[in-house]
Amino acid sequence: MSRVLVVDDEAGIRKVVRDALERAGHEVETAGDGEEAARLLEESDFALVITDLNMPRMDGRALVRSIRKGSAVPILVLTVRQEEREKVRLLDAGADDYVTKPFGVEELLARARALLRRAETRGDTPALDRWGDIEVDRDARTVRKKGEPVHLTPTEFSLLTTLLSKPGAVWTHRQLLAAVWGTTAGVTNDTLRVHMGSLRRKLEDDPNQPRWIRTEPWVGFRFSPES
Amino acid sequence: MLESLRVRRVGYPAAVLLVLATIGILKLFPGLADSSVALLLLLSVFLAAWIWESGPGALAAILATLGFNFFFIPPVHTFSVEDPRNVVALVVFLVSALLIGHLSALARVRLRLVETERADLAAMTRLSQAFLSDTNRESLLGIAADRLRDALGADHVSILLADEQGKLSRAAATSDAGTREDLAELAYRQGNSASFPSESGGTDIYLPIPVGVQRAGVLVALGLKSSERMAEGCAVLVGLALERERFLRLARAAEETRTNEEMKSTLLATLAHDLKTPVATARAAVENWSAQAGPSEGSRLAVEQLRFLTRRIGELMEVVRLDSGVARPRREVVSGAEIVEAAVARFGDALAAHSLFIDVPPSNNRVEVDPSQLTEALGHGLENAARYSPAGTEIRISVSEEGKSAFLRVTDRGTGVPPSDRERVLDRFVRLPAAAGIPGTGLGLAIARSLVEMNGGKLRLMGASQGGTVFEIELPLAGGP
Repeated sequence: MSRVLVVDDEAGIRKVVRDALERAGHEVETAGDGEEAARLLEESDFALVITDLNMPRMDGRALVRSIRKGSAVPILVLTVRQEEREKVRLLDAGADDYVTKPFGVEELLARARALLRRAETRGDTPALDRWGDIEVDRDARTVRKKGEPVHLTPTEFSLLTTLLSKPGAVWTHRQLLAAVWGTTAGVTNDTLRVHMGSLRRKLEDDPNQPRWIRTEPWVGFRFSPES
Repeated sequence: MLESLRVRRVGYPAAVLLVLATIGILKLFPGLADSSVALLLLLSVFLAAWIWESGPGALAAILATLGFNFFFIPPVHTFSVEDPRNVVALVVFLVSALLIGHLSALARVRLRLVETERADLAAMTRLSQAFLSDTNRESLLGIAADRLRDALGADHVSILLADEQGKLSRAAATSDAGTREDLAELAYRQGNSASFPSESGGTDIYLPIPVGVQRAGVLVALGLKSSERMAEGCAVLVGLALERERFLRLARAAEETRTNEEMKSTLLATLAHDLKTPVATARAAVENWSAQAGPSEGSRLAVEQLRFLTRRIGELMEVVRLDSGVARPRREVVSGAEIVEAAVARFGDALAAHSLFIDVPPSNNRVEVDPSQLTEALGHGLENAARYSPAGTEIRISVSEEGKSAFLRVTDRGTGVPPSDRERVLDRFVRLPAAAGIPGTGLGLAIARSLVEMNGGKLRLMGASQGGTVFEIELPLAGGP
């Protein structure tokens, strides 16, 4: 059971998200705007924050920024906008993932579960990661699929472990370039795409319909722990 | 120039009179020493040169030397000199007188020039201040003509401006006085000024008005009294004022468009939020309820209909965005493969019942488009293919490069669109009779076409060789690497 904070100015959304989360066995607090949410976050700890983007007073983006000043709590944003630039801005500001309204309840719960799992294992990153038939040994820097060793280039290995450091969270192109190459200058999204493609060919059963490494169109990539 | 000439004509007799008067006074007081006589004569030369400048100054110097010799150097009343020392004194006197006259005249000329320039400068400053405080074209030109006439001391000033075809017409004038069109035309075409003496005194001048390396028109001044340089400066000033007024006008228009678009954009975002939030609430509520009470046909139907409603709202919002002009493409260079990948990732769910083939060869087909808009356009093609071809059949997505274009194609094995309807079906709200039983608004393809055309591409529907339809987006390849 985890404590989840749901922030939305629409009472209806607050109610349905609360019902879904409680059904999944979580404890839920709600807030009607960013300021109230910030107050609740100061008073006690939460394992996950789910927030709307358009809110009176402090909006979602301002809330994300204010949370990231002092906390690493996973943040899932509800948005009505399809616009990629807005999503990239949100993720760069520190959000972990987003769901576009109107969302399916199961999809929302799956995203929440992925982010909560990370919160639970935070602090003791296991040297050995196991995802389905994929095994990642960070210390030995080896990867196995179906028990067979898979040869990854250093860049591919670095990309994989970066994605795995926040399973379920979306990494923007910029964040990945900064984490893996250490710079965003001189490396293009294309380079990133080529390495991702090669990583997928080595790890995915069907690289055209990837199971683990998902593309977020024009935004970035995520490692999806959910099927 | 005329004024100083007049003064100089009076100058020669006046200088002679001044020197003779000085000699007369010296003769009346014979007690004065020789040195004092020389100094007083030099003073008269200085004054003559100061007042009437170089010519009369030189005449005064020579006259003073002769007078000094004739009246004061023994033997007096002759031009002969007895004492050789006095010859030296006389030569020194002549040289000194000429030098004093020359220097004094020079100083006077310089002073006069400085004064004229200062007056010109002050007039230009007043003019530029007047121009800069005015932001309206008509009133600017109106006051410009009057002020230029005063500043230039001209009888008449007019400003001719060229229209887009380069034809000159009078934009402002101080009077109806006729100007010569051929000279104005010449000044405008060649960018050189033309000037010649005016019948009424002064100069008539035709000056091009420079705007950057171009010319905006011609400044005409008749009976100009001030310098031509001053007039040229004024033409530059008029050019600057016109240019400034044009930039201000452009900036105002741009600002207006921007605020307008921002306002529309915000309104549309709020509208989307207000439309989608109730649907989101309803859908989640039904799903929660069905999770508790167990799945039922009713809840499945409700969710399906709400999902359908969401898509329709999305389409309508897109149409409004397209019509209100806030959907301007933000282009960047991407590859066709990226667009396909993004469209499949986002709209892949709609293709779940079909078998999808993606045929994207590794090539460098770069296009410069708004990535989101092209993804959306291709997505409509995918949805259309899924909707109008039987479940289980093949849908193929391909990217290819032919000539200077990249082609993104979606090929289905559906019933196809009759050739006569392939153009029409891309229009809004057009649905073919064959689509009667299938839900849709007839907006998807129209939106796709608008998005593609906005990004410089073409959208067409074609027949596939094995029956079915090809949805084809043609985009110009981006130049260079």
